[in-house]
Amino acid sequence: MTDPRVERLAGLIVDYSLGLREGQVFRIDALDAAQPLALECYRAALRAGAHAYANIGLPGLLEALLRHGSDEQLTYLSPLQWEEIEGIDALVTVWSEVNTRALSRIEPDRHAAYIAAQRKLSNRRWERISSGEMSWCGTLFPTNAHAQEAEMSLAEYEDFVFAACHVHEDDPASHWRSVSAELEARAAELATVSELRVVGPDTDLTVGVAGRSWLAADGRYNMPDGEVFTSPVETETEGEIRYTFPALYHGREVDDVRLRFEEGRVVHAEASRGDDYLRSLLAMDDGARVLGEVAFGLNYEIDRFTRNILFDEKIGGTMHFALGSGFPQTGGANTSGLHWDMICDLRDEGEVYTDGELVWKDGKFLAKPALEVVESGAGG
Amino acid sequence: MADPRVERLAGVLVDYSTRVREGDLVCIDTSAAATPLVHEVWRRVLESGGHPHLRIDLDGADELLLGEGGDAQLDWISPLRTAEVERADVRIAVEAPVNTRSHTSVDPGRQARSARAREPLRRRYFERANAGSLRSVVTLYPTEASAQDANRSLAEYADFVYGAGLLDRDDPVGEWSALGERYAVLAERLGERREIRVVGDGTDLTLGVEGRTWIPCDGHENFPDGEVFTGPVESRVDGTVRFTYPASFAGRRVSGVELEFRGGEVVRASAEQGEAFLREMLALDDGARRAGEFSFGLNEAVTEFTGHTLFDEKIGGTVHLALGASYPESGGQVQSALHWDLVCDLRSGSEVYADGELVYRDGRFVDGLS
Repeated sequence: MTDPRVERLAGLIVDYSLGLREGQVFRIDALDAAQPLALECYRAALRAGAHAYANIGLPGLLEALLRHGSDEQLTYLSPLQWEEIEGIDALVTVWSEVNTRALSRIEPDRHAAYIAAQRKLSNRRWERISSGEMSWCGTLFPTNAHAQEAEMSLAEYEDFVFAACHVHEDDPASHWRSVSAELEARAAELATVSELRVVGPDTDLTVGVAGRSWLAADGRYNMPDGEVFTSPVETETEGEIRYTFPALYHGREVDDVRLRFEEGRVVHAEASRGDDYLRSLLAMDDGARVLGEVAFGLNYEIDRFTRNILFDEKIGGTMHFALGSGFPQTGGANTSGLHWDMICDLRDEGEVYTDGELVWKDGKFLAKPALEVVESGAGG
Repeated sequence: MADPRVERLAGVLVDYSTRVREGDLVCIDTSAAATPLVHEVWRRVLESGGHPHLRIDLDGADELLLGEGGDAQLDWISPLRTAEVERADVRIAVEAPVNTRSHTSVDPGRQARSARAREPLRRRYFERANAGSLRSVVTLYPTEASAQDANRSLAEYADFVYGAGLLDRDDPVGEWSALGERYAVLAERLGERREIRVVGDGTDLTLGVEGRTWIPCDGHENFPDGEVFTGPVESRVDGTVRFTYPASFAGRRVSGVELEFRGGEVVRASAEQGEAFLREMLALDDGARRAGEFSFGLNEAVTEFTGHTLFDEKIGGTVHLALGASYPESGGQVQSALHWDLVCDLRSGSEVYADGELVYRDGRFVDGLS
């Protein structure tokens, strides 16, 4: 029997995240290991009256391309991929690795060339997503490989993932609707703020956010979800920050990153491990030394670091500050090939001030946001 | 250690069957059960300079669609499928079923509707293959499901499958090329004939073949292979035929099929098992009641019925007849969403006459050609 949580997750993604409607073309991207979730997504899509099909990948094929492909093969984009992307109304990407480190020893230049070519496709996809022509949601199906990264058994990791998505209980959609209302209200409140100051262990950072809008990540683009984020004013980041969790980029780990900012730019950087890699990423381009994102992680079902950004950036009680490209829809103007989310744990000793007022202490906002939509009292 | 025959099969498919060249877009159409073969094919395509493109079926999706889908969903064809048909230079289809009877309880009417919707895709594949702009091969990767149908263990079945492809020989490509030459001579001789009459147990069937082309099959479109076929003259199939073997088709099994033809059309049909499905398929469209193909099975390495058409129709000493669509290259004109091969064992007590002359007895051509 299928784990009922898998069926609920599929229903949540199809109905709540994507809002799939009759007649829409829906593609399910998944690796073979995620077939149970892919099949439940297919079933939910049929019930929604959509036209669904799956694009199932097999582990090992990308590795073969990266290892044996010619330069031309490595950067080839097939006409099929280009044509297909124009016809899709909704897409779910199910991450489900059987070995998260399989590509560790691939020559970095060849991997980078492949990623750069694929980015042309993903840029077009993002254009269509941003303009509302298609919907997209990324999620994860638990495997031993992801459990291993998180240092859990598969059963423990399944509990962790499904609780984070809130599919361990009936009617997860109503949970996410109330999360959405709360995050929207929080985002509206933060939009009135000019300056954030974050104080924690080895951290005292001031970030300008005047005129920027905050977005609520409420389970439409990611499942699980739970953050509010914006892009800070590019020239106004000042002070020091120490990232308590390892910072991961393309599978490589940099530990105990410390940065000092002046007038928006990193002027000093060090790490206890991976210092060279940190420096090479900062030197990637002009925008790599500037913050592109500041965000509050607010999913309190996610209570530990699991080496997967889909979860880590949403850990309840953390903040993340990403170096590199910003989000134009929030008013962000920084451009870079880099977008590196690094996470700061503020659960034990952390304070956040907005325009001088203490609003967050030890991993929690001190007050609930004023909900714009008052729930009607009609009950029973 | 990986089975070396899998690598050899990949080599034959890529180098011999479809002759992958630099820059070819190669669609690999299969299911996850064929993963070991996909890996070898993928790598071989890369080595040949092609661009491999994977299309994997989601196991169980078909059953859900046929069971729960609305009419609009049954009629829908993925735009990617359409694009693949138009864009691919090469298609390598690898059957690797995980359950060959999964459609048994599906409403045959809905199955027919879905098959009709897919007919344009199928026709387009044949058009492009026929025009030479698409090189396409169908093969099978041994799975437990197919082994079960063959009443064999997976290891025994794998021996059978690779044996049928001559992949246990030193030079499979050389062997297939030599067979191809023999089949070509046979095809040429049959091409001079006007009428074929098949006589066997429960069978006395006459087929007009005048002006039609016989096609030798030596591992380019099917692998393994071994047959010479044509498309009979549409109005000139008369008599009765009893098919020896059960036929698995579209996820279910039909056995004990008997057909009577008059003027090229099936006028009576019965089956011991699956008769309702047989009737539904015969009613699929106008072409479904006609014989689109008649063929001699010639693969001497395939001697036993194993429940899969790809192999059963190649058994040396059998003939098969397909209800439904012709292959245009044979001159056959039948158009249909159906192409259902039914196999008749002629290895004992049977004869075939060509223009009245005995040319084949008990499973062999009398001139020793095959």
